[in-house]
Amino acid sequence: MQSVTTRYLMTCAAIGAAVGVLLVPANFVSAPLAAAAPLAYAPLVGLWMIGPVLALALIRRPGAAVLTTFVAGVVSSASPVGAWSIVTCLMAGVAVELAFLVTRYRVWRAWLFYLDAAVFGAAYVASGWAAFDMAAMAPGVLAAFVVLMMGSFVVFTWLGLLLARQLAQAGVARGLAPSGPARAREVGPEPAR
Amino acid sequence: MSAAVLPAPASTTRTREGRSDLRTYNPLVKILGVVPVMLYVVTTRDVLTPALIGAAAFAVLAAMGRVRPTVLAGVALTAAALVAVMTLSFGLLTDPAAVTGSTLIASIGPVQVWSGALATGLATAVRTVALLMLVLLGGLTTTGADLVRAMTQQLHLPYRIGYAALAAVRFVPRFGHELEVIRGAHRVRGVALSRGPLGAVRRRAGYVVPLLAGGIRHGERVSLAMESRGFGAHPTRTERVRVPFGPRDVVLLLALWGGAAACAALATLL
Repeated sequence: MQSVTTRYLMTCAAIGAAVGVLLVPANFVSAPLAAAAPLAYAPLVGLWMIGPVLALALIRRPGAAVLTTFVAGVVSSASPVGAWSIVTCLMAGVAVELAFLVTRYRVWRAWLFYLDAAVFGAAYVASGWAAFDMAAMAPGVLAAFVVLMMGSFVVFTWLGLLLARQLAQAGVARGLAPSGPARAREVGPEPAR
Repeated sequence: MSAAVLPAPASTTRTREGRSDLRTYNPLVKILGVVPVMLYVVTTRDVLTPALIGAAAFAVLAAMGRVRPTVLAGVALTAAALVAVMTLSFGLLTDPAAVTGSTLIASIGPVQVWSGALATGLATAVRTVALLMLVLLGGLTTTGADLVRAMTQQLHLPYRIGYAALAAVRFVPRFGHELEVIRGAHRVRGVALSRGPLGAVRRRAGYVVPLLAGGIRHGERVSLAMESRGFGAHPTRTERVRVPFGPRDVVLLLALWGGAAACAALATLL
């Protein structure tokens, strides 16, 4: 714990606070939308991915995704579901973090982010399968549902990576990510020009 | 600073009149203790089991939640509306081939409503409402800050992480101020002056990166201020707000699980 700097903690906290503000209206909208029009809810699910993807791509340190979503959950707990938002957000954070934990935080390329989004998307669809009894749905509806959900995860991952690249270009969080000359073409902070 | 200025060390109230108040119980019981029950509800396919569990959760919320009557009425109305809307919407999404044994109730153009499809929709609706009730049981009576405190005090989450999250809540009003500054700066420089809805989207998109950059830089300044005040210098710290975990929390946890098991047993008997 002592090896983690306060600067790293508060950078994750700032990203988490910004994403948490986004998630407050999402918390209000998602439950009724999921009930009334599940097909309209499906494109929204990726919203929870922006924070962890952005934080990991920008900071490139272990735990950044989990920490960011933890803070996002605390900030977005101003809704009827209250403290539950922390649990929901943490699930997304852990899912994003897992792929980088498995590769021992050595691979930071974009494909791993997209692979992660695809795997997590599949797992999320599987959990929705049980809750919404999707096996009973018409095949056409089912296909649209799966495509919209997976597409949402991929699109929001792309958005998170784009924001991380632009922030790195603006010089934000410089010196926080471990950088080297070999990493110039990777996702995340570029060396100073 | 005199002692009179400092407020007394706070603790979640455990006075005699607050004994049956759900707010005085530990957040870990109310949030994480319910998870096994939720997992069980997800696996059910009948109508009766989730209906009983949902009704029981609502009864506990009404009796012990100390939520305002208007909020309680809102929860009940939302639940009723959810059941009605979801029965129809999921009933329409259900594959007609899977419910061939049922009767056709109505046919509006290309849309056909089958009784078997509506039954599947009803089961999904009641299951979702039961999950919603279990979420609201802890959600309406627990703040995010209290759960963070319980995590640092009982689950031994490092306090630096917990306090970073609590400090981040104070960032939110700052974002509003910063947004005004960025908006003004963009207007002065004539950034993205295009009109119409597309122009508005482009203008808003232009605020995202400066806002995030400003937030992160503010976080870095705050971290310097925190460290200069000795944040994280010691392995443990004192707490201003205590969130205790006592025998009554264990009783509540066992009661939650026992109640859910009783509902499941009752559903099989009926």
